[in-house]
Amino acid sequence: MAKKLGKKARKFARKHLQSAAKRNRKQRSQFARRPRRGGNGRGNERDGDGDDEMPQRAIDNVMNNGDAAALVNGLEFPEDECELNSDLSDSDGYLSEDSECLYYSDSEDGNAVNDCFVQDGLDGENDKMNTEIKKQKKKLNKLMDKDPEFANYLEKWQSELKSDGSKEDSDEDEMDSVDNDADSSDENLSNDKILTRKTISEWCQLVAKEPKAPSLRSLLNAYRDACRFGVSKSPSVQRIQSTEVFHQIITFVLSEADNIFHALLEISDDVNKGKIMNLRSAKKWKTIEPLVKSYLQNSLDLLSQLTDNQILAFVLTRLRASAVLFSAYPSTSRRLLKILIRLWASGDHNLSLSSFLMIREVASLLPECLDLCLNKSYNTYLASSKLVNEGNIKHIDFLMDCLVELYSLDVQKSCERATTSIGQLNAILRQACKTKEKEDLRKVDNWQYINCVNLWVRFLCCNYKDYNMHPLLSSVVQIIRGVAHLFPGTRYLPLRLRLVQMLNELSSCSQMFFPIPSLLFDCLEFRDTSQKEQGQKAKVNFSSLLKVPKNMLKSRDFHEECILSAIDVLSAHFAQWCYHVSFPEVATIPLILLKRLHEQTTIESLRRPIKRLIDQVDENKNIVERKRDGVSFSPNDTTSVESFVQDLQAEKSSAKISQFYKIVPKKLR
Amino acid sequence: MGKSSSKKKKDKVILPPQLPPEVDDDDVVVSDEDVEFFRGNEGHARALATLDRKSIDSYVTRVAHHDEDEVERLYEERERRRKAVEALRPKNHDDDDFEVDRVDALPVKTLQGELVYNNAKKARFDDSSNNVESKSEDKVGNSKQTIQKGERKEKSKSKKGDGKLQNVQAQTEASNGKLQSKVLEEVKEELSAEELFEKKKAQLAEIGMSMLEDPESHIRSLNDMLNICNDKDQKVVKLGLMSLLAVFRDIIPSYRIRQLTEKELTVEVSKDVKKMRYYEYTLLRSYKAYLQKLISLEKQPNFSALAVRCMCTLLDTAPHFNFRESILASVARNLSSPDDAVRKMCCETIRSLFVDEGKHRGEATIEAVRLIADHVKLNDCQLHPDSIEVFLSLRFDDDLGKDDREEEKGKPKKNKRRQNQEVPKQLPVSDNKKAKQELISKAREEVDAELRSVSFTLDPKERRRIQKETLSALFETYFRILKHSMSISNSRGKVINVSPDGSHPLLAPCLEGLGKFSHLIDLDFMGELVACLKKLSGYTDHHSGIVHDNTLNVSERLQCCIVAFKVWRSNLEALNVDLQDFFVQLFNLILEYWPDRDRGEVLADALKTLLWEGKQQDMIRAAAFIKRLATFALSFGSAEAMAALITLKHLLQKNSKCRNMLENDSGGGSLSCLVAKYDPEAKDPYLSGGLASVLWELSLLQKHYDSSVSSMASNILSMANLNPTQNPVPISNANPLEAYRDLSMERKLSKPANKLLPLNCRKKRRGKEFVALSPAALEGSDCVAGGDELKEKLKNHFAVLRGISENERLRAELNHTLSSINLYKEYKKQKKSRKSKAVKKKVSRA
Repeated sequence: MAKKLGKKARKFARKHLQSAAKRNRKQRSQFARRPRRGGNGRGNERDGDGDDEMPQRAIDNVMNNGDAAALVNGLEFPEDECELNSDLSDSDGYLSEDSECLYYSDSEDGNAVNDCFVQDGLDGENDKMNTEIKKQKKKLNKLMDKDPEFANYLEKWQSELKSDGSKEDSDEDEMDSVDNDADSSDENLSNDKILTRKTISEWCQLVAKEPKAPSLRSLLNAYRDACRFGVSKSPSVQRIQSTEVFHQIITFVLSEADNIFHALLEISDDVNKGKIMNLRSAKKWKTIEPLVKSYLQNSLDLLSQLTDNQILAFVLTRLRASAVLFSAYPSTSRRLLKILIRLWASGDHNLSLSSFLMIREVASLLPECLDLCLNKSYNTYLASSKLVNEGNIKHIDFLMDCLVELYSLDVQKSCERATTSIGQLNAILRQACKTKEKEDLRKVDNWQYINCVNLWVRFLCCNYKDYNMHPLLSSVVQIIRGVAHLFPGTRYLPLRLRLVQMLNELSSCSQMFFPIPSLLFDCLEFRDTSQKEQGQKAKVNFSSLLKVPKNMLKSRDFHEECILSAIDVLSAHFAQWCYHVSFPEVATIPLILLKRLHEQTTIESLRRPIKRLIDQVDENKNIVERKRDGVSFSPNDTTSVESFVQDLQAEKSSAKISQFYKIVPKKLR
Repeated sequence: MGKSSSKKKKDKVILPPQLPPEVDDDDVVVSDEDVEFFRGNEGHARALATLDRKSIDSYVTRVAHHDEDEVERLYEERERRRKAVEALRPKNHDDDDFEVDRVDALPVKTLQGELVYNNAKKARFDDSSNNVESKSEDKVGNSKQTIQKGERKEKSKSKKGDGKLQNVQAQTEASNGKLQSKVLEEVKEELSAEELFEKKKAQLAEIGMSMLEDPESHIRSLNDMLNICNDKDQKVVKLGLMSLLAVFRDIIPSYRIRQLTEKELTVEVSKDVKKMRYYEYTLLRSYKAYLQKLISLEKQPNFSALAVRCMCTLLDTAPHFNFRESILASVARNLSSPDDAVRKMCCETIRSLFVDEGKHRGEATIEAVRLIADHVKLNDCQLHPDSIEVFLSLRFDDDLGKDDREEEKGKPKKNKRRQNQEVPKQLPVSDNKKAKQELISKAREEVDAELRSVSFTLDPKERRRIQKETLSALFETYFRILKHSMSISNSRGKVINVSPDGSHPLLAPCLEGLGKFSHLIDLDFMGELVACLKKLSGYTDHHSGIVHDNTLNVSERLQCCIVAFKVWRSNLEALNVDLQDFFVQLFNLILEYWPDRDRGEVLADALKTLLWEGKQQDMIRAAAFIKRLATFALSFGSAEAMAALITLKHLLQKNSKCRNMLENDSGGGSLSCLVAKYDPEAKDPYLSGGLASVLWELSLLQKHYDSSVSSMASNILSMANLNPTQNPVPISNANPLEAYRDLSMERKLSKPANKLLPLNCRKKRRGKEFVALSPAALEGSDCVAGGDELKEKLKNHFAVLRGISENERLRAELNHTLSSINLYKEYKKQKKSRKSKAVKKKVSRA
């Protein structure tokens, strides 16, 4: 019955409120965009950089359209866009209510209407419009008075207009047009009663006492109306007149619904999907199911409407408790995931975090949603990592970590994806290497590409120990070295440093040796910086650059940053092998370079960190050499070499070595 | 020129008036050869001077059918008038300007008898008169004709010696022609430029086709084509040049056209020979004019590419033909053209010249090499590397003596062929008349002598001489470049901050060339060369010099070492040169090497040449290299590491005593010599104490990410367990250079992508723990927002929504009301019309 009613209501709305519905659609899309822009806008304000506005919007568009073709690289996974809204489309969650549920009239109703106008920006405009309407109406009345025949004419015209509209309508759903009238009468039976605060609090009390109480239905209906407020034009929505009531409904339902449903279904907190599926066959499921469904769907409506990050985060947090309930409705979960991923990519950290947690929850509960989730989140990550500036480095980093989390849920599945993605990266690199054309080089030399490589590097780092991923690792390494080879020269030093960092990460996770110093020679080269100091102290920040702008190439800042970053990366490299037997040899060539640089450099501020690194490496070298002199095994004795490392690590005198390398980067800054 | 033309008209009997193209100026036409010829044959000149001027004059007057003076006066008057008019009016056609060469203005009659050229009316005039003349003169007889023809050539060249009278005549005729052309000019103006272009194109095509069909009878059309090349329209000029190129490519004979001697000229020859001579003569003239045109156009930016291309093609197809020198000169000049396409074209041509010496007997080779050498000298070695790189295509016979017999075998054959060509040309009459038989035997001697100069085969002596000269020019260039780089590096040692690249662009190809031709270097030079290389490779007594003062980059210095070794080795290592210094250099350069900046291939090549190919090394030195290479492998990419490891392995195999370095005996290496402690930064391999070290690097290299490197390291380590005589199972036979190339990034990326197989992971689902996110990042995930704040925000949200819906409602209402009001107007209109209709009806009814 409930289903049918809801259907009818919708039809009614469609027939009689055509224009409003259209406008609503528009509005909804506006809303959908709003939260993201808000998030990004914040980032922009921080930079004070207006130029970013355009690309940001471009990203927005991409995200909204879900249009994979618009992305540059073709790196993303294909998504099937067919939306399975089957169980969503045939009901909007309206529940039939028991008549015994009482409505209370509220004495404060009068000022409740007023209180909502307090901070409304549209208020003034509305007032103006009101007066305008009054004026025009007067004019019309005058005309009508003057010419009574006109009144007839007007009436005729209006009725024509209506019939026109309904004709159009009937094209769309002729079949339903029969029971059209019945709908409208049904609809208006109980719903025109205005909800008062008293009514709501009464219901809340009843429900809190006894979850099975019939007022739960009424409450959920009220929740539905609240969630659809402003979107739907059905008269039932008009029941909510005051902000107080709105707030009351939403907070109560969100915070209590989960407990109530758990109690109703008699399930414990840590249920899994299987249990829910089992429940589906149980008897009580039938009675409770519509309630659950209504709650979940309306919550989704609410999510897609809300604009404020904090409220969104709150709703998400509350909703996460009942994530398990979503598993009964796969297509609803899909819709949920789409909303969540959009919110996840938005700029606000808290919101991102809570939506990520929700995504992870859903993805781990619903393996069939995992594919969609991985695809969609990967593509979203790529889209949002197109541009990197100082404002969003952290965010992109966070997104990457989240993505790694998601991909680590099912490594088997993820490895396939990683393989295809790395294959794509490889193909792009080969193409660029073959043609060396600007267009093809641009496909490698961009953030999307680099972030994508970085994603897989991190994925490998997290999972290398537990899984056999050597082939994947070697192809990633080849890509990294290939990119470094493809872009030589000082201009691309930031890119190179980034790649070297990746190699370091891989090295530490796989315990393999990567000859990193040769990639850093460009950084450690002494360059004569231009003596004329630039007026504007443009701070070079390598983390948000791939390619150094030409005007900075000769600047002192750039030179300093180069050397300091190189020292960073080198220390990480040394730190990994500082206990190894052959550390002195590892350090030999870098040490020569460092010493030369130390001799040549004219920048005083650089001398100290360089000198310190040299001293430290020397000391480290001496320790290892001393220890080495005392042993009797040969280089080909692998086990002894390993135990040498452990012995040295255990020694007190040498324990501080690795500490130093960790401190170096921090101290430099 | 006018004189000659006017005069010729009278002399020509069989041939219609056709002259060699004297395009530019007098100098063009009167070449040195011509002048010399005249000097040598004064008799002819005199004969020319004593020509019956009156009879000639009478012809002209007959043509004009007027009293001579009268005509002259009349023409001059007209000329003056015309000039006045022209001064007032802007010039329309440069072509028909006054400055136009008289020769150009001459009539041209095509096959169809149509007059093609603008001032053609006059031509028709003259032609008709000539025809009359020819008829009368035909009776004079053959013998006279031949003599006249022989003289005709000289006459055409002898304008300077001619009298004034002819000059006057020429003027009158020219002015006459001008008058005619004036009319034509006006007609021509009416044609649009496009039509003109199309016309000229068609004309070119027509001439070109006829030339290709039958060059002998149409040889004169070359002039027309050359004239078209003087067109104002650049497109036309380009087309003209191209079609001429095509024609020349086709018709240039396979022999060099030789200047006729006095003797030959006096000898009476048959009609055919005359014709042939005329053909050759015209061809040569046109070819010369064409080349001059090309050379002058080469300097113009619009035409340079085209002109160079034409010259390159000509040089490629006809290196044996006359005027090769001038083409070669400009091609050689363009070897270092800044335009890539032009440079490439020239390089290709020169290369093909070097490779395909059969066409020109190697003469062009030596010329080209000399030209380039001069060029290098003139430009102080600041040229594009390409200009030297072409030398790499040079080929020298290792042993010329062997070839002698083959050459001789080939020679008679070729001679015969040549004779067959020459004989009918020289003595066609002899076949018919027995009286000329003697002449044949006489001429044969001359022919034989000439043959030598014309034939394509050289006797071995000659060949050797040419090759020697080429070689010496080549090495002269190379040594010049070496010297130059040396002087620069010395002088610039003091000047700071000069970019090392580009300062001696020729050095790299020069070193490469030295390496290639090292076996041909004279032993006398050897000592000096090696000293030179030593200096260039940056060897200083390593106490004094700081390495950075040397401005040669690492690759170049490595190349120096390589060349020195190649030179030494290709001379059977007999040379008593101390190459120890080069080892020291390499030893230090290994530490200087930077990937991406320096060419890794050169390093690998150096390792190969100096260490891998060498015989048994000094043990201490070998140990030093072993240790250094191992350290080197730790810091560089897999390609470099692999090259180093292969060399290292080779050294260990050759010097079994060094295998002690693989083992850790008490106190480091067992064979500690002079230096007890290893110094990783030592400059001298003998002082580094390499023998005292242990190759710990290999244990780390076993963990190398690249499996080929790590397996190589393991392979080397396994040597420790073997006897000194045993070698481990070889895992690759590549030399360092091959190994480097195999593993280099380019190679890796160009290899087809090996399909990544989907991994087989152990099925294992993770629990709930997080792998990538730190707990700190997860903080604050549970957003239990403060009640009040949340309430406030929710309220706001509601208010906004409500405002919007209210706004919407109001707007709809407003719109509705407004449209109702608007409807009123329409209503009124309808009412009016109805009323008026009604009125009309009423009226009509009424």
